[in-house]
Amino acid sequence: MTVRLAVLWIAVVILAVAGLVPLLTMFLQSVVVDGQFNLSFYAQIVTSSRQWSLLGNSLILASLTTLGTTLVGLPLGILLGKSDLPLRRTFIFLFTIPLLIPPYVTAVSWFDVLGRNGLLSKSYPSLAATTSSWLFGLPGCVLVLSSTFLPVVMILTITFLKTVNPHLEEAARLSSNWFGVLKGVTVPLARSGIFLASLLVFLLSLGEFGVPMFLRYNVFPVEAFTQFSAFFDYGAAAAAAVPLALITCLVLLLEANFLREKTYQLRPASGAALQIRLGRLRNVVFLTVSLFCIVLVLLPLSALLVQSASQAAYTEAIWRAGDSLLRSLLYAAMGASLLVLLGFATGYLIHSRALGICRSVDTLTVVLFAMPSTVIGIGLISLWNQPSTTFIYATPAIILLGYIAQYTALSSRITVSTLSQIPVSMEEAAEISGAGWLRQVALIIAPLAKRGLAGAWLVCYIFCLRDTGITMMVYPPGRDTLPVRIFSLMANGPPDLIAALCIILILCTLLPLSLLAVVIRLKRQES
Amino acid sequence: MNIVEFRSVWKFYDQKPVIRNISLAIQENERLVILGPSGCGKTTLLRLLAGFITPEKGDILINTELVASDGTSLKEPRDRNLGMVFQDLALWPHMTVRDNLEFGLKAQGIKPESRERRIRETLRLTQMEGYAQVRPGRLSGGQQQRVALGRALVLRPKALLMDEPLSSLDLQLKTRIQREILKLHREIGFTLIYVTHDEREAAEIGKRMVVMKNGEIERIGPTHPRC
Ligand SMILES: Nc1ncnc2c1ncn2[C@@H]1O[C@H](COP(=O)(O)OP(=O)(O)O)[C@@H](O)[C@H]1O
Ligand SMILES: [Mg+2]
Repeated sequence: MTVRLAVLWIAVVILAVAGLVPLLTMFLQSVVVDGQFNLSFYAQIVTSSRQWSLLGNSLILASLTTLGTTLVGLPLGILLGKSDLPLRRTFIFLFTIPLLIPPYVTAVSWFDVLGRNGLLSKSYPSLAATTSSWLFGLPGCVLVLSSTFLPVVMILTITFLKTVNPHLEEAARLSSNWFGVLKGVTVPLARSGIFLASLLVFLLSLGEFGVPMFLRYNVFPVEAFTQFSAFFDYGAAAAAAVPLALITCLVLLLEANFLREKTYQLRPASGAALQIRLGRLRNVVFLTVSLFCIVLVLLPLSALLVQSASQAAYTEAIWRAGDSLLRSLLYAAMGASLLVLLGFATGYLIHSRALGICRSVDTLTVVLFAMPSTVIGIGLISLWNQPSTTFIYATPAIILLGYIAQYTALSSRITVSTLSQIPVSMEEAAEISGAGWLRQVALIIAPLAKRGLAGAWLVCYIFCLRDTGITMMVYPPGRDTLPVRIFSLMANGPPDLIAALCIILILCTLLPLSLLAVVIRLKRQES
Repeated sequence: MNIVEFRSVWKFYDQKPVIRNISLAIQENERLVILGPSGCGKTTLLRLLAGFITPEKGDILINTELVASDGTSLKEPRDRNLGMVFQDLALWPHMTVRDNLEFGLKAQGIKPESRERRIRETLRLTQMEGYAQVRPGRLSGGQQQRVALGRALVLRPKALLMDEPLSSLDLQLKTRIQREILKLHREIGFTLIYVTHDEREAAEIGKRMVVMKNGEIERIGPTHPRC
């Protein structure tokens, strides 16, 4: 066996142990009671009308969120990806912020706008009573989750529009205006990518439980979490998690069978992409987008800032959660480093098709990414909560395993797209020069891919840092992270403290990102 | 002596034959051109020889030694002692000219002193002495050609494979580089296997010519330089 195959197999095994085995263990535990095959947990679920109404709530929330993000995200993606709208990069950055922070932080910030003591109540107390009751419930959940997942549709739309061959658009431009070209050629060609984005939003909002829990809208994942954390009923929690896992797999199976081929057939376009000139509409569109951005993103963030604006709040925040903050940064950095290593290996495997199972590995990472974090958390606990494995169960290792399980898709996919931009001949030239595989990777591929890998690290860092679901379920006593600490303080902590903690968390996310932006700008000026 | 030999070689992509039953022997120090329209399988033939892909049927021999046979590769590319100039040159953009040359020497475990000597010699042969510390992105098209050539030759390969290396150059530069290749061939001696779709170029470079069509050899014979 060559070094290359050995490394790739090790990566596959790590991924399977972190992600696949826990799910299988969890499934087993849900059908075995006292050593016997037993479906009583499922019988309880199926016969309980409460469970059915929870599932109904979940599906309604996920569907409305998907509808909202797609209807807004698609045109927004087209405008920001293909038109000559001013400040496109700034807009992309601003609209992406809600995705980068834990969704419940966005819920808290909307609470500071629309809630009983929010910004609105200062001038219109009676109106605030209405908006507050509106926020706590389905509309509020849809608002928060839509602003969280809007960037998913927006970014994937921008990405997939770039893969459309400009010659095809040019041919259509000869006989049609831009609206006709987009409707007839561009969007249909990128259709499967946009559909994939919608599916992803559907699954991510289906699995989210921090927001519905905070806004008191009862959904299925909250049930699994409660079974687990309030009653310590593993079997019941597992049985409540399995339907979610099944829905996730089913949806992705549909995607794989009907869409994957089409998505993969799109090749990166040759030649420069065509740009839509907005002409006289430019100012009107710019104003509309700005206004939308201010209301959706900047307003709630400002409310959070206003709410937190006292030195006492920040002092108390550091005093009460400084240790969680440090752990958050440490775990996120470690998680990101592990994820980049593993994702590089799986991404290389998928890109080079070195093993027969490369498609399955890709599918597994995507399934795990879309899997509700409650499911993964319960799975990890089912697997590692044994006397012989306390070295994992009782240490931060279980949190890192959770990160690996859920987020490998990110680093893996980024690696694949980075590698696909490096000509094969680069690697072949090294190979024919006599370099072994490790040398090729270390001296040729990794340096050429370094920007992509740095990007992957940052994305993984942000997702580990914002992770609430997995960490909340698996963290060992005294080892919580900042998002978890905030979440548990939220029940009865003073609002200014909560707001200050949220601001600190947002800064931890945005600082490295801004740093990167500055470095990129400097480099660009240099060359 | 035959330095390279193909024996009834077949290569399939998605069950479609791309190389069909090719047999070909190449002599030491000869200058062979492979000519044929785009898509006829020229690149595939070179990649088979280099060992990046494996023939489903047939044998490939280098230096009378079997390197690939009926679907199995018996020798890794790095053990085949070949040099290759890629169609897109594939110069490593993050390394200087010098590092590009040194990479293979290091990988082959050659000692620092002789590495140094061979790099200097190669820079001289390719007239790139002043550019050791420059990165490929800053070089002109012709200079990049020379670096790619140098990188392949610095390892003293038994055979040098070139895949339409000059197709992106203008006519004047093309003629100049062609002359340089021939000069290098006279000075240091190696087997040259040169792929092109341009008949005039084939006549300039080759002594013997293989004409390919649809994955098969249509004809083999000496080239006839015009004039
Ligand atoms: N990796 C591949 N997968 C599928 N088909 C390929 C692949 N590489 C080459 N081909 C096909 O093999 C044929 C020969 O290609 P190639 O050797 O690149 O031709 P040439 O170099 O003569 O232009 C073409 O029809 C091409 O489409
Ligand atoms: Mg070719």
